[in-house]
Amino acid sequence: MSLLQREREIITQNEYVDHFDFEEIEAFVKSASKELFISHRFKTSDAMQVQPRGGFPTYEKVFRLYEEFKEAGVDVLPLTIDSNTRLNDYATAKKMLALSEENDVDMLNGYPLINHGYRTTRKMITHFDTPVSLRHGTPDARLLVEMALASGIFEIEGGPITYLLPYSKNFPLDKAFLYWKYVEKVCALYSTFNEPINRESFGPLSATLQPPAIVIVIQLVEMLLSLEEGVKSFSVSFSQTGSMIQDVVTANVIKKLARHYADMFGHHDADIHLVYHQWMGAFPYNKEYSDALITASTVIAAMVGADKIITKTRNEAFGIPTKEANARAVASVKYTLGMLKGLPAVSDEEEEENLTSMVNEIMEAVLNDGADTLWRKVFNAIKKGHIDIPFSPHVINANEVITIRDPQENIRILERGKLPISDRSFAFERSKIRLNEGERVVDKIIKDIGIMQ
Amino acid sequence: MKVVTGVVGNDIHVVANRLIEISLKERGFTVFNLGVNTYLEEFLDAIVETDADVLLISSLNGEAEGWCRDLQILKKQYTFRKDVVFMIGGNLGVGEMDPDALVPKFKNYGFDLVFHQVDLNVGLDTLENYLKAHA
Repeated sequence: MSLLQREREIITQNEYVDHFDFEEIEAFVKSASKELFISHRFKTSDAMQVQPRGGFPTYEKVFRLYEEFKEAGVDVLPLTIDSNTRLNDYATAKKMLALSEENDVDMLNGYPLINHGYRTTRKMITHFDTPVSLRHGTPDARLLVEMALASGIFEIEGGPITYLLPYSKNFPLDKAFLYWKYVEKVCALYSTFNEPINRESFGPLSATLQPPAIVIVIQLVEMLLSLEEGVKSFSVSFSQTGSMIQDVVTANVIKKLARHYADMFGHHDADIHLVYHQWMGAFPYNKEYSDALITASTVIAAMVGADKIITKTRNEAFGIPTKEANARAVASVKYTLGMLKGLPAVSDEEEEENLTSMVNEIMEAVLNDGADTLWRKVFNAIKKGHIDIPFSPHVINANEVITIRDPQENIRILERGKLPISDRSFAFERSKIRLNEGERVVDKIIKDIGIMQ
Repeated sequence: MKVVTGVVGNDIHVVANRLIEISLKERGFTVFNLGVNTYLEEFLDAIVETDADVLLISSLNGEAEGWCRDLQILKKQYTFRKDVVFMIGGNLGVGEMDPDALVPKFKNYGFDLVFHQVDLNVGLDTLENYLKAHA
């Protein structure tokens, strides 16, 4: 038995897990409908895939949510996991699920997949015969991903950096790399059974004034860490920046460089896709303004040529949306996309050149680290502050980079901290910044965070 | 002037915490930021370790009271200067609260300055005036 298989048997033996029948699961995946694989959908359709977010504690409520989404014309269904399961606390999830089932109140902010198990969940997934994307935020997602794949969920979001630095204060980063390595290996193995499993990175990060250069570097390294384990289908992503031209420039650079670095590492056969997240910052309380924001963001997704868009709802400022509000957003995004066919390509060459330089400069520093494996190089880069996310709660993050918006609302690097970008690239960024006489940086930051409110 | 700051309890909201750090630095303070998800004992340890002049606790998720009510008892177990200023601010209650009731409550717990849903700059201006008056 391989070392990986031995590890898998240990991971899946747990008092909250019914017997894990690896042979049966393999047979299921081999004969699974192609419709369940988003990687297959990407190959066979040119249309932008529309995917909302959503998950409820009970099977019945998720089933009804999926019915509502299907009626709205959804392309990809989400399965959002509850916060206890994300922290591997299956005992609390079990208790809260029981309370939710007995009292018809939602005691969990998502679906506790481990407690429901793959035999039950698979019935729902195969019933809808639509690709499902696993949305979570779990540093140790080994059991969760085993359970998802066994259920027929063939797209897995997350990664060791994007699910850790924005979400945790002190979960050890080196452990996160190793736990995600397991996830990549299992996804690669399942990719040999039928169509490829798609892995997706989470580009929005802390969703607060994230500079595109850092977002792209993190997307590239998570992609490389996944491909090196044998994953064949990967989605890079980013969220709406607040500047239309910066979104276009970011998309062009990330598409170009993802292919470049994948090829540089010999992954010529990997399919790479682009996912665009509608505005991830604070939403307005005015629901008509929220509708306008969602529509504008759909237009941008079409302009940047995204392969998939992840939608928000007009209820965003008020908490978890109802299934009706969520489905309404899907229908409205689909409607808007119908008007946006054959858009001309636009860009800003100077901006693309500068962003490309900054990404390459940081990537060079990461790859030149003396460590023997890619994950250790990336780990060291984060420790050294070569990769530094504004507004991360994690202790290992350097927190030295400061960003503000220029007059066109582009996010610019004001303080570079230890980012290994050249003086030339940095001077370009700084040259775009205008601070009013006597205006304090911190007041500008507060204003820049809240531009959509 | 040295300030220890951070977000108390199981609260992970980091944005305001970073803004507080930047604002304090801009005002010339030396800042020791313990970040989110910090317990009261860790704050008091840090006052001793850094010989701080000010402790500035912030909270957003509304659970600060549960985490801070034992401050008086805890203070007695530590030896630090008598003139350390204890300040707390943010969103100090779950749901809509009466600020007139919240402020005296937190002062009883041992805070010198209490700010419930008050603008950051107003809070920090008040802190600077308080420090000048007590210099």
